[in-house]
Order: sequence, then C-alpha cells, then structure tokens
Amino acid sequence: MNSRKELINHFALMTEIIDQHQEGKRDVTFRVFRFNPQVDSKPYFDDYTISAERGITVLRSLNYIKEHVDPSLSFRAFCQAGICGSCGMRVNGTSKLSCTSQVWDELDKCREPGIIKVEPLRSMPIIKDLIVDMDPLVDKMKRYSNWIDSTMPLAEMGKKEFLVSEEEFHRYDKATDCILCASCVSECSILRANKEYVSPAVLLKSYRMNVDSRDSIHDVRLAELVKDHGVWDCTHCYRCQESCVKSIPIMEAIHSIREDALECRGPKDTSGAKHAEAFMEDIEKKGKLVEATLPIRTNGVVWTLRNLLPMAMKMIVKRRTPPPPPLVKPAKGIKIFRAMFREMSEHVKQDHLKSHKK
Amino acid sequence: MKPFDIVIVGGGGAGLYAAMEAMKTNPALNIAVLTKVYPNRSHTSAAQGGANAALGNKAKDDTVEMHIFDTIKGSDYLADQDAVDVLCSEAPKIIRELENIGTPWSRMEDNTIAQRPFGGAGRPRCCYCADKTGHTILQTLYEQCLRKGVIFFNEYFALSLSVQGSRSRGLMAMNMKSGKVEAFPARTVIFATGGYAKMYWNRSSNAAGNTGDGQAIAYRAGIPMKDMEFVQFHPTGLRKSGLLVTEGARGEGGFLINKDGERFMARYAKEKMELGPRDLVSRSIETEILEGRGFDSPAGKYIHLDLTHLGADLIKSRLPQIREMSLNFEGVDPIEEPIPVRPTAHYSMGGIDTDNFGRTVMDGVYAAGECACVSVHGANRLGGNSLLDILVFGRIAGHTAAEEAGKFEPGKISEEEIKASVDELRSSMQPSGHYERYGALREELGQTLALNVGIFREASLLKQGIRDISELKERFKKVRVFDSSDVFNTNLMQVLELKNMLDLAETVAIGALAREESRGSHTRIDFPVRDDEKWHKHTLATLVNGKTTPGEKPVTMGRYELQERTY
Ligand SMILES: Cc1cc2nc3c(=O)[nH]c(=O)nc-3n(C[C@H](O)[C@H](O)[C@H](O)COP(=O)(O)OP(=O)(O)OC[C@H]3O[C@@H](n4cnc5c(N)ncnc54)[C@H](O)[C@@H]3O)c2cc1C
Ligand code: SF4
Ligand code: SF4
Ligand code: FES
Repeated sequence: MNSRKELINHFALMTEIIDQHQEGKRDVTFRVFRFNPQVDSKPYFDDYTISAERGITVLRSLNYIKEHVDPSLSFRAFCQAGICGSCGMRVNGTSKLSCTSQVWDELDKCREPGIIKVEPLRSMPIIKDLIVDMDPLVDKMKRYSNWIDSTMPLAEMGKKEFLVSEEEFHRYDKATDCILCASCVSECSILRANKEYVSPAVLLKSYRMNVDSRDSIHDVRLAELVKDHGVWDCTHCYRCQESCVKSIPIMEAIHSIREDALECRGPKDTSGAKHAEAFMEDIEKKGKLVEATLPIRTNGVVWTLRNLLPMAMKMIVKRRTPPPPPLVKPAKGIKIFRAMFREMSEHVKQDHLKSHKK
Repeated sequence: MKPFDIVIVGGGGAGLYAAMEAMKTNPALNIAVLTKVYPNRSHTSAAQGGANAALGNKAKDDTVEMHIFDTIKGSDYLADQDAVDVLCSEAPKIIRELENIGTPWSRMEDNTIAQRPFGGAGRPRCCYCADKTGHTILQTLYEQCLRKGVIFFNEYFALSLSVQGSRSRGLMAMNMKSGKVEAFPARTVIFATGGYAKMYWNRSSNAAGNTGDGQAIAYRAGIPMKDMEFVQFHPTGLRKSGLLVTEGARGEGGFLINKDGERFMARYAKEKMELGPRDLVSRSIETEILEGRGFDSPAGKYIHLDLTHLGADLIKSRLPQIREMSLNFEGVDPIEEPIPVRPTAHYSMGGIDTDNFGRTVMDGVYAAGECACVSVHGANRLGGNSLLDILVFGRIAGHTAAEEAGKFEPGKISEEEIKASVDELRSSMQPSGHYERYGALREELGQTLALNVGIFREASLLKQGIRDISELKERFKKVRVFDSSDVFNTNLMQVLELKNMLDLAETVAIGALAREESRGSHTRIDFPVRDDEKWHKHTLATLVNGKTTPGEKPVTMGRYELQERTY
C-alpha cells in the first residue's frame, strides 16, 4: 500500500505547507528584562523584534529569540503545554504562563503599541533574566505541612482503600489543579511587602489538605496557619484568584481556612482573631471591606507604616488603592445584606458541622 | 561532597518512589535526589489518562491474571513474562498505597477509586483523577518526600558516571544556579530520568527535557541499551504542536473520523474500534492520511477526534484539560467542534537494560521508570501501564539499592576527574571559525527521525536516517555555546541535551534497521509480518570503543504461548 515515494511525498508536502503558512505575520517587539548577576550591577531591558505569526505563543517567541537571536536569554520552560508550571513570568505586567499566552492576545494589552513587555515573577529572588528562585516557596510548603499525614497505619498501607465520597472529592478537586507556577505568588499584594507571608498557593494547598478526611494533622496545620504571616494577613484583594492560571477559586480556600480557624480555635486566640473580628465587623457594618485600615488593626500602626506604606504609595499612583475609610459608604441595601450575612454564617457553620461529622 | 549511599537521578514518579522506598527500607542511609527540573515539573505531570490496576472496582470480574495477559498480548509477546507478573500483581497494592497517602483519585458511586476503559485492556481498569492523573500522583509523591525530609538537589544537570573498573563510584553533575561541576560520590546510583521520545522534536508529545540524558550517560559508560527501536507513537497529537490528547477522550466515547465522515477504525479493529491498542490506531490514522482520506490544512494533514456527541457536561467534568489544551493550542472548543489530530512520538519502550530488580550490568548502577527497559512493555506499551511501571519499578529499584548499598564501598571521585569533566564542558563551548547552531541541528534530527525512523519504516529510509544522524553528530562538534555565563546557562544545557539525543538516536535507528520484522510499534514496510523464529528476542546496543555494537537477549516466557495479535 504505502510505497516509499508516497511516504516521502507526504512528509515533504507537510514541511512545505508549514513553510507556506506565513499568512497573518506581524512584527512584534519583545521588551525583555535582563539581569545576569555575574556581570550586571542592575537589571535592564533588551528589545527583540521578530516576525510573529498568528497562533504563536509567547514562549515559542522566546524560544525563537533564544535560538536565532540571542542564545544567552534565559528562562525556564519544560512541558510547553500549561501543565508543569515552569514558565511563569510577567507578560505585559500580568503574571501568567508564557506557554499558554497567545502573542496576538497580548498585542491588545500592550502599553506601547506593538511592544510586549516580559519580566520575571515578583516577590521571589531573581537568579538570572526571567528565572526566579522557587526555594522560598518550597520552604513554605514544608513549614505549613503541605502534605497528607495519613490516618492509615503504616502496616496497613496498600491493603485497603479509604472510602471517599464524590462530594468530598469535589471539595479538593479544584485545589489539586494547582501546578505551583507561582503566578499568584507574584501578584499577591501582601507578599510584596512581607516576604514571610504564607502566600496564596501555600494557603490553597493547606486548605486542600485540611478538608481531606484521610489526613491526621489538621489541627497542627491550622495552628501554624493562624500564626503571624499566616492566613489572617491576607487582605482579600483577590489578586491571586484573578491571576490564577488554572482559574482556581483561591479565595474560597482562604475563607474556608478562616472559618475553620474561628470554628475550631474560637474567635479570641491570636493576632488573627483581631483581624477576624475586624473582618467580620466590616462586612457586617458596611457590606464591604475597609481594606485600607485592615492591616493597621491587625498588625499595628508601625508594622503597617514600615511594610505597606511604600506599596500604598505605588498603588495610589496606579490608582489601585482601596479608598480611605471615610469614603467607604455602607453598601446599598445593607439591611438585606446583614440578614443575608447572618444566614450565610449560620449556613457555613451547619455545613462545617456536617462535614466534620463524616 | 560527603559520599552518599544512594544518589537518585530524576525526580519524576520513578525517582520519587525510589527515594521514598529507599528511606523506608533503611532510614539510616544518606540519600539524595538530583534533578534538572524541580521534581513537580517532571514529565510525569503530563500523564492525563491514568494508571492500570485490577482493583475490580468497576468491573467486578477483573483479575490480575487478565491484566497480565492484556499486557503480554499488547507487548506483541516481547515483554518478559516474569516482569509482567510483578508489574500486574503489585498494581492493586501500589494504587491503594498512593490512595492511602493522599492521591485524590476520582471516585465511583460506592466511594471506591474510579476506573475507566483504556486502549488494549479487556476490562475497565484504568484508575484516574479527572484528566490530571500523573499531575496528582507526582504532587502526592513530592509532598510525601518533603514530609520525609528527602534531600533534593534541584536544578542539577547530571553529566556523567564516574566508573572505576566494573563499578560506578558516583556521578558528576552541573549545578545550574552556579554553573559549577560538582561530584556526587556514591555507593549506588539510580537512573530515573524519563524517556527519549523528544528526539522527534516537533513531532513529539514530550516535554522539552525528555532527551534521554540518563540513558545516554549510562550508554557512554558502557551499559547496554535494550529494544531502543521501539518508540510508541500516540495516535492523537494535536495537529500543530504534537501535544497530546489523552486516550481518555476515546475511553469516554470519542470517535475518530476521516474526511469522508467515516468512523474508519471499523476497517482496522472491528470490535475494539477507537479503543484498539496505540500502535494499531496510530498506523490506522497514518494509513488513512497516506491514502488520501485525511483533512488538509496549512499546518499539515490530520483527521478528526470528535467529542461533540459526549455533551458539554461530560467534557467539562471529565476532560477539562483536553478542552483547555484544544482551545489554547488549536483554537477549537471540543464541545462544539471536532479536534484536529495526528500521530505523535510519545513513549520510549526501550531504555537501560535492567533485571526485575532494577539492576543494570554495572555494579552499583540501577535504573527505573521510562528510562529503563525491564521489559514490561515489549514492543508496545499499553496506555495506563507506564505510570504503573514507574511506580512499581521505582519502588523496587529504591528497595534493591537500599538493601545492596552496604555491599559497595563508599564512592570516591578524584579532583582530576572533576577537572577533566569541567575541561570537557569548556571545550564544547567555543569552536573557532565556522560554527553550527544547536537549534537547527535539533530540528533536523527531529525531521529525519520522523521521516526515516517513524511509524512506517523501510531499509533504505532507515539507512538514510543513520547517515543523517552521523552527519549531524559530525556537525555537532562545531556547535557553539554563545552564553558565556556560569549562572543558569540554559544554552549550554540544551546543547548537552542535544548531544544525548544524537547518541541515542543512533541506537534507535540501528536497532530499527536490524530488526527485519514488524512487531508492535515497529512496522517495516519491507518486512510486514512478525517473525518469531528470527526476532522473538530483545536487541541490545552497547558502546564498545566508540562504536554502537549490537547484541541480543532472550525473552523470558511463562504461561502464555506466542499467538497472533489481533483486536
Ligand atoms: C503527554 C503524555 C501523557 C501520558 N499519559 C500517560 C497515561 O495516561 N498513563 C500512563 O501510564 N502513562 C502516561 N504517559 C507516560 C508516563 O507519563 C511516563 O512514562 C512517566 O511519567 C515517566 O516517568 P519517569 O519517572 O520515568 O520520568 P519523568 O517523569 O520524565 O522524570 C524524569 C526526571 O529525570 C530528571 N532528569 C532528566 N535528565 C536529567 C539530568 N540530565 N540530570 C538530572 N535530572 C534529570 C528530570 O528532571 C525529571 O525529574 C504519558 C506521557 C506523556 C508524554
Ligand atoms: S487575596 Fe490575600 S493571598 Fe490573595 S493576593 Fe490578596 S493578599 Fe495575597
Ligand atoms: S494557585 Fe494557580 S496561580 Fe497559584 S501557583 Fe497554583 S496554579 Fe499557579
Ligand atoms: S512550560 Fe510547562 S507550564 Fe509552561
């Protein structure tokens, strides 16, 4: 059936066609962050202009630049399919995976037309160019016991399955999508001020472990989470969730840990409790968070000035700051909201009781 | 560096399981895992479909025996039957163990681990977690290793074995962060570096780093490679990128359709249809395309994988990753339109020759996972058997090394040897005058392999392939590393990976030319039938005085006699 000639024709044709597939090309400039600690005293940007075709991803463009223009340009990439989490970087100011980001989509988001800016993730030490150090994140996974400590005795391992309901599976299903790409870490507003902060991905993983009925160290993990730099430091800015490359509802996990902490440890136990009360009070009173005062009430004035003020200044320049307190008006229909809030709290409690009995 | 008892090269499923098991076997041992990417980035994370085990949760009448038979038949009778026994008998235990330590398996209605049908299996026995099975297994193992305090050397690139006499004294590796070559003296070394299918480059489903480093290192140290000619093509790679659409899509009921709208698998596997084994489905698609029944597009010929009849709910809940990938890389929503696919190089059946305990012929050197060839997959691996292989034999290799480490003297690596290694690296960096670009060579290698050592093979094509590869090896000597920095020199790393691929590609092509028969994934147009009399044996490739030297090894038989393989 398949003569050799046919075979060769088939492949030759394919290569030729790929070459012809040049329609929809455009010159695109990549403005890439460069820093080699061996020779550079400070970072700078290099511009690379290439002719990019429709459908090409940012990572493929960087690969092209590395192969054809500047082999010293350094970045991480592995699966090229959005599953290994290696290629996180900031593209046009947003942290994401470069291997799933389409150049033509990015062109719509450029500050300067036709120039795509590529920078390393933030809040992690820079090693070289677009490569940042992941070790601090791994250390935090260790600190917060981001693993299951099984209730199955060692001698029984492998002999029988735990029975797990589909309902329980769904509680952590989405959270186990996390590929540790650190995009959320890079976007987190607290981390930028406080590198010790637990970080959203680690909160997510902690949540995933804590709702797993096979695990035996829920209380240990929770005790660590409510300490300084833990779950109560989060300002609920939602940036982690907005930037999650797997669209994981990280905030639900954070809320859930907080509710769990209040439930299990009572409202008065640590600095977190102060924060919790402030948080509840705000919601109940205004139907909205008074984000600007939240860190002050939890961490004290000095901490806030030292750690958050510089960032606040930058945010004001970028007009991202939550309005100062007097401007936060009670949300409309606050009465209805309060009633709903109480009902919700009740609901959450009931749910929790139910799930803990299982 | 202080000598280790065990150094494990590779932090994928095989490496991590080996580490866990070695620690469990003897907690007093000094064990390190060395990996070129953070363990959780390893290619195990890409396995979507699942892992086989005859748990009998879905089909109550499933048995280990049936799993064994399916695997042997799937291998086209080239698997060693005693090894398959181990693989399948250990399967239920290892899947439950993973469950016990936190792997989030999808669940059946009765709350047991969910299972689904998979190609080449007589019963639905593939255990899965949505379509992120490998990812969740790898996460679980990594988490457990962190819990147990396994020592990791992340982003270390293994370079060579230090061999003295008949045994290894440890390993040389480059610390990517500093660029320094560091010695890892060790009593034992376990290779768990994954597959080599990336040598097909753009026609491969593999991660950029699946370049067969461990195999190449072992090969250069004189350890034989086994059955290298067997490379599995997955039937359904995305048309443009080669990225994989899991078999799960067909397991859930997806159809393969040609341009005439036919479910053409009826012609090739009447009973199993789309769920026939991979080699058969790949050849069927390639034949449809060659005979003009494929679709045409600027990015090449392809056929359709149609999921539209499965409905939005099922696609969203069971195949979310496939939908995402198809949207990202083809711009196609499988809920509304069929996905354009064609075969892609996917899995390396061949690898470092080991026995059933993970031992190689060299004292103190072990191998497990995709980089090893025990052989449990023979001429063709069944979907869902590879995750199982890396877990079962990763564990066995970890256990064996831990038991045997005491037998060997502590490793020692001399300063001169380290210096020689550094010099070799340096010399590869700056050829004068005319130079070659590694990127071009890499692409040409992929092209000649896909064309001459691809799905359909033939003597003259294979000879051409071998000529091309040796020419590329010649040109490689002129490749220049432009990045002169020590810190995270990915330029240098990619050049070293290319060298590994070139060395191994030669063994693949030579093995394929030698094997004058068609078996499993290896299809010779000029020798279209299986020839048990002459070729029911493993091939070996050993480097002797700088030349690939062929050898052979008998297949271990057992309960099952040779039969024709039909589906
Ligand atoms: C897209 C895809 C889908 C798949 N789906 C399935 C499936 O559904 N079911 C199934 O059973 N199988 C599947 N497979 C196959 C299976 O995933 C692999 O065979 C298996 O994961 C290999 O595991 P491993 O531990 O041997 O190697 P890997 O997971 O590839 O790990 C290799 C490790 O070695 C390290 N390494 C490599 N070279 C070096 C070096 N020079 N120095 C230091 N470290 C090094 C890497 O850093 C990495 O940590 C799939 C494969 C692919 C490509
Ligand atoms: S919501 Fe909390 S964890 Fe998420 S980015 Fe904001 S501060 Fe960080
Ligand atoms: S939570 Fe999302 S953004 Fe954060 S590391 Fe995980 S996948 Fe990445
Ligand atoms: S390269 Fe793996 S996620 Fe982008």
